[in-house]
Amino acid sequence: MHFSDIGNIALILASGFAIYTGIVAVVGAIRNAPLLVISARRGVLVVAFFLLLASACLIVSFLTHDFGVSYVAQHSSLAMPWYFTTAAFYGGQEGSLLYWALMLAVFSAIFSLTAKRAPAAIVPYVIATLMGIQIFLLLMLSTVSSPFVRLPVAPQDGNGLNPLLMDPGMLVHPPMLLMGYMSFSLPFAFAVAAMITGKLDSDWLRSIRRWTLASWSIQTTGLILGAWWAYHVLGWGGYWGWDPVENAALLPWLTATAFLHSTMVQERRGMLKVWNLVLVIASFALSIFGTFEVRSGIISSVHSFAYSGVGAFFLVFLAIIIVFSTALFIFRLPRLRPEQEFDSVVSREGIFLVNNLLLVGIAFATLWGTIFPLLSAALLRQTMTVGPPFYNSVDGPLFVVLVLAMGVGPLLAWRRTSTRALWHNLGIPALAAAICAAILPLAGVHDIWANVGFAVCSFTAAAILYELWRGMHVRHRHGEPYPTALYMLINRYRQRYGGYIVHLGLVLLAVGVIGSHFFQVQQDAVLTPGKEMNVAGYTLTFFGNYEETYPGTDTVKSILQIWSGGQLKGYIYPGRVFYQNFENQPVSLIPISTFGLTDVYVFLDDWKGTSQATIRVFINPLTSLVWYGGLLMLLGGIVCWWPERRKQIMHRDVGVTLAVPRSPRSASPTSPKTSGRNDEGVIA
Amino acid sequence: MKQVQRRPLFVALAVLAIVGALWSYVFLQNPAQPTLDQRVHDVGSQLKCPVCQGESVADSTSELAQQMRGVIRQQLQSGKSEQEVIQYFQASYGDQIVWSPPWQGFSLLAWLVPIGLLLAGIILLFFVLRDWRTPSPGGSMSDDSELANVDEADLAIYRSQLEQELAAEDPIFTLQSRTEAG
Repeated sequence: MHFSDIGNIALILASGFAIYTGIVAVVGAIRNAPLLVISARRGVLVVAFFLLLASACLIVSFLTHDFGVSYVAQHSSLAMPWYFTTAAFYGGQEGSLLYWALMLAVFSAIFSLTAKRAPAAIVPYVIATLMGIQIFLLLMLSTVSSPFVRLPVAPQDGNGLNPLLMDPGMLVHPPMLLMGYMSFSLPFAFAVAAMITGKLDSDWLRSIRRWTLASWSIQTTGLILGAWWAYHVLGWGGYWGWDPVENAALLPWLTATAFLHSTMVQERRGMLKVWNLVLVIASFALSIFGTFEVRSGIISSVHSFAYSGVGAFFLVFLAIIIVFSTALFIFRLPRLRPEQEFDSVVSREGIFLVNNLLLVGIAFATLWGTIFPLLSAALLRQTMTVGPPFYNSVDGPLFVVLVLAMGVGPLLAWRRTSTRALWHNLGIPALAAAICAAILPLAGVHDIWANVGFAVCSFTAAAILYELWRGMHVRHRHGEPYPTALYMLINRYRQRYGGYIVHLGLVLLAVGVIGSHFFQVQQDAVLTPGKEMNVAGYTLTFFGNYEETYPGTDTVKSILQIWSGGQLKGYIYPGRVFYQNFENQPVSLIPISTFGLTDVYVFLDDWKGTSQATIRVFINPLTSLVWYGGLLMLLGGIVCWWPERRKQIMHRDVGVTLAVPRSPRSASPTSPKTSGRNDEGVIA
Repeated sequence: MKQVQRRPLFVALAVLAIVGALWSYVFLQNPAQPTLDQRVHDVGSQLKCPVCQGESVADSTSELAQQMRGVIRQQLQSGKSEQEVIQYFQASYGDQIVWSPPWQGFSLLAWLVPIGLLLAGIILLFFVLRDWRTPSPGGSMSDDSELANVDEADLAIYRSQLEQELAAEDPIFTLQSRTEAG
């Protein structure tokens, strides 16, 4: 009995329980039998347990180097350190599918355990939908794509992992992105449940928003980590290449972002219900599409490392999802009428619609560019490519307008904004943009598009910072020092200020993208010992190459000095690592030295013996801002997401003493003697 | 009233004019003169490296890409324009070497469909908004004086609404917006 056998049994048991849970949940909902629903909720936990067991078995097989398991033999070797051996768990097709199923099970279990917070009527249907997806994954795992298939004869040593994946980025980026893809199934399940039950009330909205926010944050992290990985490993000096696989990861992120914005309109004004459902379904369908695209290998990409025949199954699954949700949607359409009317275009809901148009526009253009070569090949038998120049010229301007809209949005009131109030609010951001637009050309920024981009970014940054400052100032006038005021402000209106933090992060990221896109300097030089090369004020002096040999790897490194302004800044060692069994796929070692906000990115292109090297240097200005911006976005996402249940109730009680309650929910009784100020002091 | 209304517009126009003048001065003074390296990179980034997966000729480190960069450099030095060099590669490697679909034939659809749909989206948005809007209480929105009056009253309301929104149910804010309103 091997661990892989236990894994197999666990997978089969998990499938059985998933089927049981799905059926019991639906029957429980139809017959209105709470006991059956409770059974379903426990069934979810059982499925999660068996998937945990299966995953543990696979990891143990890896760590004990059980090369009798085909998957282990293909994706690990004796020479690999333990952390990469563990990470090889999701390094291939079968394992990543298991990882996906595991994550779905874990999230389903979290839902099941916190199901009391969701509207009771939809719980069984959410569970049933999740189990439907789970059954699909489990059937794949136990039939066509099992990680536990055993070889007739166990080899002495395994193949090892694809060297591109032997990187710290590998430990974090794929699991994040896969988790992100998977997590869109929860909002989808909520949407399906709402369409079946017809309950799209505010409780439903709150639950689905939180789950979507969680997915959004995970996906944001996955995307940023992916960009970071590409930057550090691929060696072309960039972090985003509009590669089909990157696009596939961006698409659900875009629609989820659109959803997070348009739900605010639904929350406030009861409009856009239909549209929101479309966005949720689209996010999930796009994440399945992405998986299909990555796995099937129909599109060539730098990232696809897990080709296999499972693509067709994903295509069928995608078709089922689309047909099923469209049918449900049409069935439910008559019930989805907007509750309120629109007052004015110049209002926050107006700008949210513009935001949605832009995000969906970007998503569509990107999807279209990704699948166009396939269409062309299928219809005209004409191969063609759609690459970065296309996306830059179509999506680039849309992103600029989006950033602009992000700045205008907070300046507009709900329902309707008077022209004068708008002018008044526009003043400071417009001034910031004008100053930026005036100074940068004089400071040597001679590209028109870069100038436009920077001006728009400064407009938006100023608008958001001004908003923040106004909030802080009001609190400050009531005796709070500024840092406390900022903290209280964010702590109290998490959604609003968390959103602003995300926006600031995106602006920072946009500045980084503009900087590295327009001002990257690239230079190649063939160097012999003692020779130097000069790039944009940095001098690199070459000393020679040397080799290091360890069991399993062979490394070539060049020795260089970086000088700037007559000072030695340090030594760098760009190189290549050759892994056993993958001699034709050397991995680059790319030293990236950051001076201020400028990256000096040095890549060893070619070498001869110990005394000659072809060095390629990229000077990437402002690239660090991409990572800082990403971090800020994640932080903002977490702030928005952070539970505030208990505190909010406390605040509501306080608020009632002084203010007319805004919603019936807040109309809880309060003792007359508690004054707002006192409680404020207690909380602070 | 009207003067007050228009002042920001004039300020905005003035600022735009200043920035515009500055930009045209700077850009006319410093016409873009890309170096040969930059031009090679520009051409290279428009071409897909035929033996790589999703990398451009400018970025790829493969030998073929290096040779192609050499060819680009030679041709540019001999006086060919960027477009001519790209056409040369298109003729010898086929359409798929160009990284953005050409503006002709079937591949024109690659450009037109997203642009067309975006325009359709804007038009749709316009009609949706028009349908959704309730008829404004004052009748026609074009009446300037009426709008100004509405604005005055609105401004007070929206200002307090803004504060309120800012505050939601936060006591110190509510206190303040009350005193301001009163």
